[in-house]
Amino acid sequence: MSALLGLRRLRKLIGGRAMLDLGPLALEAGQGYVLTGDNGSGKTTLLRILAGLEGAEIDGLEFKGRGVSGYPDWLRRQIVCVHQDPYLFHTSIAANIAYGLKARGKGGAEREALVREAVEWAGVDRLAATPPGKLSGGERQRVALARAKVLGARVILLDEPTANLDSEARAQTIALIEKMCRDNVAVVVACHDRELIELPHVQRLHLERGRLDAVP
Amino acid sequence: MNPVQVTTDAFALLFGGDAELWGIVFVSLKVAILGLLIAAPPGIALGYLLAMKRFRGRRVLVVLLQSLLAFPTVVVGLVLYMLLSRHGPLGALQLLFTQDAMIIGQAILAFPILSAFTLSAVQGADPRAHETAVSLGAGPWRAALTVLNEARFAVMAAVINGFGRAISEVGCALMIGGNIAGVTRNITTAIALETSKGEFAQGIALGLVLVVLALGINFSMALLQGEGGMK
Repeated sequence: MSALLGLRRLRKLIGGRAMLDLGPLALEAGQGYVLTGDNGSGKTTLLRILAGLEGAEIDGLEFKGRGVSGYPDWLRRQIVCVHQDPYLFHTSIAANIAYGLKARGKGGAEREALVREAVEWAGVDRLAATPPGKLSGGERQRVALARAKVLGARVILLDEPTANLDSEARAQTIALIEKMCRDNVAVVVACHDRELIELPHVQRLHLERGRLDAVP
Repeated sequence: MNPVQVTTDAFALLFGGDAELWGIVFVSLKVAILGLLIAAPPGIALGYLLAMKRFRGRRVLVVLLQSLLAFPTVVVGLVLYMLLSRHGPLGALQLLFTQDAMIIGQAILAFPILSAFTLSAVQGADPRAHETAVSLGAGPWRAALTVLNEARFAVMAAVINGFGRAISEVGCALMIGGNIAGVTRNITTAIALETSKGEFAQGIALGLVLVVLALGINFSMALLQGEGGMK
């Protein structure tokens, strides 16, 4: 079976030096990946490249066995990236979660139902009337996860989702990440968080000197 | 001239419903608002592009724009006058000394302000806003509208400053409008020319209207920002 998202080689040059030079990489559906590495090792850059937010030389990029050249819009719609400290639009929680659905042309009752479902999924239903600017870090993270999850994307990239969260918010966030994997999404989490790194069933990847190694 | 008498006369004009006076105010508002409506879409779009895109000549364009902020209005008036006068390249349009010419002039004056302020508004916005929009699947248009909406208070400041420039300038309106009573006479040209004829009361009354307009707009913006400042 071919991987959900695969690539033969990925290189990112900065000032003529290879900041990242790695491959092959294969992400399977329903699998969680924990990406570790020192600060500055390029974890965030790797996630940004996979999300199409930054360019890089990529050879042999495949999605569901289909060769991909460049970074087409349809691929972007399958891969969502969530920032370390997620940015919420200054609208409402529901409008934030509906944003990507609108961009995909989904409207009316279908969109409303999906948003309602995602709000419940993330456990933010009681916060509906709170302006996004007034949410705590953990609540913001959960809204951002709901906003990514609602799109039905196949790959979700999370940059240090539990950094700066208290233990309760961390537990809630980790529970949501596990739920995403059960929904057959490939989830890549860049982090330093022991609790996440030691989760069962996750595959551990370590980034060092621009290379990516699987950690047994 | 007795200042007390003149001020009393000014208030009498204002509250006595002097048709000529309110006609002049109407011309000012109409010309400034229409000029702003013409300049706002391209001005805001240029500011956004300059903030978001990197291309050759961008820096030159930014410096040029910033210099245009301080461009004397009479020079804009002079250039437009030459273009629009009967023997000028655009003379056939017969626009000189019309409200349309004033609208064009004020659009040109407001344009660099709209662009430069939008540029700094977008540069000041959180860069994650655009990335988040793109990552969630927004195309270039939706992402642009989202970023402008996230920076809406700063963009509104751009529009209000553009309006301020348009409604308060006198040089351009005087040169290409011609201060024709009932047609192209607006607040500033009336004050400039009527005062020289000794018509102080009208000048003061119009000046008051201008000041109240400026205060009103800025107060309402402060109010809006206070309610919407969620950061």
